[in-house]
Parts: sequence; structure tokens; C-alpha cells
Amino acid sequence: MLKKHKTWFEPLFDFDESEPPPQKLKSDVNKQGTSSPAKFSKSNTIKPMIFNIIDQNHIRNFDPVNINDLAIHNKKVQEVEDWILGNIKKNTSEMLLLTGPVGCGKSVTVLTIAKKHNVKITEWITPIDIEFPNDNGEFEFKVKQSTQFLDFILNAANFTSLLDNNDRKLVLVEDFPNTFMRTPSELVYVLQQYKQRAKSPIVFICSESSTDKKTTSGNLFSDQLKNQLNIHHISFNGVSTTGLRSALKRMAEIISKKYKSMYNAPTSDLIECVVNSSAGDVRSAVTNLHFACLKGTDQSLETSIITEKDQKTKTKKKKPNSKFTSIGKDQSINILHGVGRVLNPRVVVDVNGRSQFTHSPREIVEQFISQPSSFVNFIEENYMPHFSNSAQIDRAASTLSDAVFMLAEWREKVCQEYGLYCAVAGLMLANKDPVSAWNPVRGPKNMKITYPVPSELQLLEENYLYKGKTLVSDYQTFCKIINSNYD
Amino acid sequence: MSLWVDKHRPKDLMKLDYHKEQAVRLKNLVQQSDFPHLLIYGPSGAGKKTRVMCLLRELYGSGVERLRQETMNFTTPSNKKIEIMTVSSNYHIEVNPTDVGIHDRVVIMDLVKNVAQTHQIDSNGQREFKVVILNEVDDLTKDAQHALRRTMEKYVATCRLILIANSISRVIPAIRSRCLTISVPAPTESEIASVLQLVCKKECLSLSNDLALRIAKSADRNLRRALLMCEACKVQQYPFTPDQKVPEPDWQTFIRETASMILSEQSPKKLCEVRQKLYELIIHGIPTETIFSGLLKELVRNCDMTLKCQVASYAARYEHRMRLGNKPIFHLEAFVAKFMAIYKKFMEESLGDMF
Repeated sequence: MLKKHKTWFEPLFDFDESEPPPQKLKSDVNKQGTSSPAKFSKSNTIKPMIFNIIDQNHIRNFDPVNINDLAIHNKKVQEVEDWILGNIKKNTSEMLLLTGPVGCGKSVTVLTIAKKHNVKITEWITPIDIEFPNDNGEFEFKVKQSTQFLDFILNAANFTSLLDNNDRKLVLVEDFPNTFMRTPSELVYVLQQYKQRAKSPIVFICSESSTDKKTTSGNLFSDQLKNQLNIHHISFNGVSTTGLRSALKRMAEIISKKYKSMYNAPTSDLIECVVNSSAGDVRSAVTNLHFACLKGTDQSLETSIITEKDQKTKTKKKKPNSKFTSIGKDQSINILHGVGRVLNPRVVVDVNGRSQFTHSPREIVEQFISQPSSFVNFIEENYMPHFSNSAQIDRAASTLSDAVFMLAEWREKVCQEYGLYCAVAGLMLANKDPVSAWNPVRGPKNMKITYPVPSELQLLEENYLYKGKTLVSDYQTFCKIINSNYD
Repeated sequence: MSLWVDKHRPKDLMKLDYHKEQAVRLKNLVQQSDFPHLLIYGPSGAGKKTRVMCLLRELYGSGVERLRQETMNFTTPSNKKIEIMTVSSNYHIEVNPTDVGIHDRVVIMDLVKNVAQTHQIDSNGQREFKVVILNEVDDLTKDAQHALRRTMEKYVATCRLILIANSISRVIPAIRSRCLTISVPAPTESEIASVLQLVCKKECLSLSNDLALRIAKSADRNLRRALLMCEACKVQQYPFTPDQKVPEPDWQTFIRETASMILSEQSPKKLCEVRQKLYELIIHGIPTETIFSGLLKELVRNCDMTLKCQVASYAARYEHRMRLGNKPIFHLEAFVAKFMAIYKKFMEESLGDMF
């Protein structure tokens, strides 16, 4: 163990000194228990006016303590918990893969469940693999990364730490060694070895983004591999607004109980703002709220809130949505939302009496500039039912024709943008009185042409090259007629 | 048992039924030991391929008629395996590069290279070059056309290309200038009628001049279609009567139905239905320019002169765009929507005049 320890990566900046680096094979699930009371007592002893700057990892103060605190949907948590409980005692080398967007609480779910059931978690952290040469200018011989990884997870799975003698062990891999990204086949070998030799379950956590499907989970864990090694796959969704809201409310409670010296108590409006601006990412939501509530400035973030009034929600008497402009994530919208915004343009009249779109064409164009053709295809497939008037649909169709004509010029970068802008703005402007009916968005049609196969049409010459077009336009009909009457 | 159109195809340049003067010129062309790359263009069913085969026979003798079919395999730069059907004799090879869609460049480069690198085994008394026939050159991607231009120069010593196209407007100028461009215009209706008479005589049937002309008229100056129609007429009813029904291709009926749908009602809902019809036509492989011209012909029937002008100019505009772009449905749809809009306005105005 010692020898191995030497090669581990020493973190250059560790925020939380109370938390031992996980590679020491020591449980870190107790950090909550140890750190929170300490902080609590500290903040009690010092004068309330002084901000506790020494307490470095503020965010950790709000980590969930038990399962009910999690912002994730109960059923998902239950699913993970069932899996862990079901496999922890059996001494088998079962595998679990957790996937989901960033900040949806994958890791924290595993950690919280482990803590509840007193399971010891050992996490792999990829060591740095470039070292400075020693005094003689030589580089030390290094073990192959995949070998190192396999050794680590096997040791973690099979040997119980002398310090706590807890045989309920779980191996966690969130930080994949980069050699596997290059050659996924190495991972297959490692996993097969693990399957045969290890005696503890292992959990893999992969985050995936909505825009880029070809990420770790897709790349490393192919369906074939999942079947072969019987890897259980649980995929998480982004945290729902209700979950996010309750998590932030809990945070507000903790603030009002323990950290009044550091934070202003967040109002519910503020929480609502944070929920709106964090797009299902609970981690960034907590950070944002932390930032928004910090004491020390007189000026509140209130001024940087933009209010967008929703015409539609008027009937439901919802509060206007507001969003931070300075912090929080950019809301990324998927293609279906984008199509919806183009096909149901909503016009509002602003204070100066000018009418304006709620979603400006520029905004939509910016979202989809990386995939102009497919976006225009989507619009084209779906625009018709939204129009009520044939003069307007004529304008729409002709702008689409303009747009696709520009998009065809793929060698000119700028044409792509103009084409998309033309389609989006043209359609939104043409649709003066949109039909407000529910129309499901359909994907673009596959326009692959299927020509008849010469062998299907009888009477044709055997060794003659027929063109698909002439087969369709000339031969097909008449061959049928001629053939039917000969029989 | 083969179709008349295949059975009675002329095999000798001197036996061609029309464009006889051109045939003499072609014969003279190959009488010299060498001939340049050829680009032969003309509408469908005008006899381009027939002339090419006659030319090859003149060049190599009857050996070119021993044809065999072969599937060739190619690998694209992205490691995709594609296969394409070829028909070849010892002297030539024929291929439709557009069958493989956007990978046509690979086919052209590899195929011509393969052919050009193998010399004729017995060059005594034979030509020193092989011939590659490429069909539908105007439908090739720009990429492939540029590849072709390079290939044409590089292997000019060992192979000749015969390019066949419907129109040279979409063939890049670089290729046009490297080839001897020969136009094969569509036969006139009377020429078609006389060919029909001739074929019927060979089949020992009697065909009245009236019916021959009617078939020629409905075949749209396409000799292949005319012959097929004639044969279909024969199997439907013989002896021929001058007023018997001439069957038409089923897509023509389909386009007519679509046009009458457009005329019946001009609304977004109808446009949706029309779009489904257009989709169907396109995925079955009806050439989009045929759809355009068919629709136009049907749509302007009820229009007055000014409206006709308007519709025709819009049709021309969208058809031109369609040829430049790669998504025909967008432009077809835009044309139909445009027609609906102006036709509706026209109808409303003319109704207003009545009261």
C-alpha cells in the first residue's frame, strides 16, 4: 500500500482539509458528521459580526445529510439504494452504471446512501502521469495506467481497511483514467478481470450532456459490454424544479439556523430566481444561492434580475419568471422547444409601444447555429398546421425555399447563418395569426429514394444497365401491363 | 421473350432511324484511329445509349455485345463499404455512379483508375484504349465532377470516357471543354410514329397511322416510352383500333390527381395533403423536374393568360433553385403554396367581377 501511495497524485489545492483524500483508502463518508459539528461549534464561539473566512468549504455545509434531503426523485434514490443493498452483502462483483447530466446528484446519491447503511466507499482518482525528471534528468518507470487502475479497484474491493474493519465495501469510479478514452477495449479487459476476481460491487458514474451524446458512458459502456458483464444501468434526469426548490429551501433553513453571520436569509423570490437560472443542476444552484446570499455588500442582486412576463401564465396566476443575468447557467433549449418557439411566435408590446417577439429570432438562431440544416428540416416538417391562411403559408414556404437555397452553399460559413436566420425570422414574421392547436412535433422525413430493382420487373434484358429513373418513369407501368396480359 | 424496345434496338450506326446525318458523322469519327472523350446529352428516350452502343460496335466489333454483369466494391475514405452494379464487355464498362449517392467520387476515381491501369491483352488490330461509360453525369456531385476532370487528363492514354447526360447545364465547364459534346435531340412525333410503324411491321402487326401518332403524342417525344406504350396497347387490345385507349404511366395519373387537389381547395390543410403526395412521388424516384413540369401543365389549364405567365415564371424560379439545391421538397412545396396563394386571389377577384 505504501509503495503505491508514493505514486498518488497529491492535490495542489484541496479545499477541504477535514476530508482525507479518498485514495488513502479511508472512508470519507463520515466527513459530514465530523465537519459539521466542528463548524457549528466554531461559529458559536466566534463573535457573530466576524465572517468565518477560515471555514473554507462553505458549500459543503449544505450537503445533504440523509436520504430525504436529496433533491433527486425518490424512486431513483430507491432504485440505487435497492441495488446497493442487494449486492453489498453478497460479496459479488456486480457493476452499476449511473449516468445523467452534470449536477443532477449522481455522486451525492451514492455517498448519502452509503453513509446511511454504513458502507465504506473507496474512490479511484486518476494520478497525474507526467512527473518531473529526477536530479539525474531521468524519468521514473511508470506502471501502465490500466494496470494501476485494475490493481487499485481489486485491492479496494477485496481488502478491508485495518482502521475500521468494515467489510461493507463499495468501489466508486467517477474519474476514468484517460487511457480508456483512447482505447475503450482496455476497459473491457479490466472489467472482465474485476468481474472474476473482485468481491465487492463497483459503481461507475458518468455525466453526460444533452448536446454531446458521444460521451464517456456511450463510448466506454457499449450495450454489448453492458449485456456481457451484466452491468446495471440507472440513468438520472436533471433535477426537477420542485426538487430543486425543496433543496434550496432546506439550504435556507440551514442558513437561518447556523450561518446567520455569513449569509443574508434568502427570500423565496431569490430561491425562485436561482431555481429558474440553474436548469436542473443542483450543484450550481447551491453555489449560486451561496453567492446571492453572501453578506458584505449592501447592494443586493435584485437589480440584475430580468423579469420576463409570460402571457400564457396569466390565466394560471403564476408569478413572473425571473432569472439572474449575472450568474447561473444559460438555458439551453432542445430542438423541439426551438421548433415550438418558431412555429408559435408570440408578440408582446413593450413600453414604447413597439411590438416584439417574446423569443427573438436572433436568440433562436444562436441556439441552433451549429446544426442549421437539421433545424430547418424540423421546421419544414412541422410548420404547415400552424398556419391559417394561404397567403401567409405562401410567404413561409418561399422563405423556407430561400433558406434551404442558402444552406445548400455549405462552403460559405456565413450562408449557414443567413439561411437559418432567414428560415426562423421569415417563418415567425409570416405567421400573423398562428393556429393554436396541439400539434406534436415530428422528425423530418427520410427522403431516401428507392428505385425498383430490375429483377422485380420481368421481361427486362438480363445484362443491360437500366437507370433507376427510367425504370420508374417508363418501364414500371408498362412492364406490369405487358406482363399481366401475357400470363 | 424480351420487350420490343430492347429487341428492336438498332445495332448499327447506319440503321438508325433518325438523326441520320449525325450517324454518318459518328461513323467517320471512329474511322480514325482515335477519338476524344465524348459528352452525349439529350432528353430521356432520345436514343443516346443506342448511339453509344452502335459507336462501340463500330469501334470494337460485335465483341462489345457480350455483356456481363458484375458488382464492384469500393471503400470510401470514411471506411464505408459501397457496392455498385456494372455492366461490361472486354472493351468497355458501364456504370451509373449516382447509384451510390454522395460517394460517387470514390467510384469514379477508383473505377477509371482500375480500367486505365489494365491494358488490352491483345492490342493487335484493336484499339489501344478501353471505354468507360458514365451515365447521368449531370446528377454527379460537384466533388465527383472535379475528380472526373483530373482523371480524364491523367488516363487519356489508356481509356476514353463517354459521358451521358440529360442536360449539360449542370456539368461543370471544365468537363464540357474536355469533351466532344454531342447533342441528341428528342425525335419528333412523326419520327416516333414511323419508328412505331416499323417495329409493328417487324412484329407482323398492322398499326394505323392515327394510333401511331396518338401514341407518339402521349409519349412526350420519348421513344422508349412510345415503344413501351405501343406494346402495352398491343397486349391490351389487338387488332388495334384507332380510338383505343393508350395507357399512360401511373405517375402521370398521380400527378394529375395531385394537381386537381390543389385546384379544388387552397388552404394550409390541403397543402398538407399535397405535401404527402409529393413525398410519395419523390421517394418513388420520379425525377423532380418531371413532377414540376407535370404539375405546371395540369395547373395552368384553368388559368387566363396573365395568370399563366405568373405561374410559369414562378415555376421556373423554383425549379431553377431546386436544381441548384439539394432538397427538392422545399421548392416544390413553395411552388404549390405560391400557386395556391395567387390562384385563390385570382378566383376571388373573378368572383368579385361577376357581381
